[in-house]
Amino acid sequence: MPSSTSSRFGLQMLWSVSLKEAGLLLLISILATAGWWASNSDRLPLRAEAAVYELELEAPLLTVAEALEFYEEGVHLFVDTRSETGGETIPGALFIREATFDDDLLENFDFMFPEDALILFGGGDLSRTSNIAGRLKARGYENLHILQGGLSGWQHGGGDISPTNNGAES
Amino acid sequence: MSGLLVLLCRVIVGGVFIYASLDKLANPQAFAEVIHHYRIVPMALLHPAALLLPMVEFVVGAALVLGLWRRGSSLILAVLLLAFMVGIGSALMRNLDISCGCFNTDGGHAVGLSLLWRDLGLLLLCLPPLLMRTGGPGLARTPHK
Repeated sequence: MPSSTSSRFGLQMLWSVSLKEAGLLLLISILATAGWWASNSDRLPLRAEAAVYELELEAPLLTVAEALEFYEEGVHLFVDTRSETGGETIPGALFIREATFDDDLLENFDFMFPEDALILFGGGDLSRTSNIAGRLKARGYENLHILQGGLSGWQHGGGDISPTNNGAES
Repeated sequence: MSGLLVLLCRVIVGGVFIYASLDKLANPQAFAEVIHHYRIVPMALLHPAALLLPMVEFVVGAALVLGLWRRGSSLILAVLLLAFMVGIGSALMRNLDISCGCFNTDGGHAVGLSLLWRDLGLLLLCLPPLLMRTGGPGLARTPHK
């Protein structure tokens, strides 16, 4: 009996020590995650956007940090898909909107070619931007990306903004 | 001799978890998509899980390799492995054709029975550091009890 009591005591001690250590390690992990998340400018939002995961997007998503790099390189064309611009957009962006898709495409005929690398962005509505990406793909545009977070994500990430200059204001 | 066994188990299990965490830490969005493919985690917890899980793997894996809080770290990793096995088992039962996302978020190993065996092997390797009196060489200041 004494040996069984002592082994039970040993087991209790082992669990007690293990749980204390595990709690401490989890606390450190949570603090490290919070610190890493707070210091990362291109961080994952805490709240998942269902559309990102549920939609079969017509083009791959691009993070703001990646889009900013492409913007600096100046090779990619930015395409604003918002129906209402609020008077500002990414500098140099062309407008292709759902309601006026064919007219907009015609208007940009001399500036936007099927071989161009395009970054589409909206006001955060991924389904609309994805629809436009699908329609562009049907017209032969293959090199397409969708900016995650839209224009507000771009602004939040420190991207340049300029007034719209082609009469596309809301 | 038992100290050497515990050290070996610590380095293998801890090393595997550190390695597994790196790509996930670098690509949290892609890892969130991997988690989502399992269709287990609710949307509200998806991003917090994608952020926290790789950090737990890294911190706890490092602690185990270094011999710090080896009982606690091996307990957490054992629980994680059990959770992974439940996730993989549930994906297999639902015939989900998905990649496991164990070591990288870009494709990788498809979910299959072999992963369950691998995780079971790692789970068994967690037992010596958790249960044995000696902890092997490490940074722990207390005697290896």
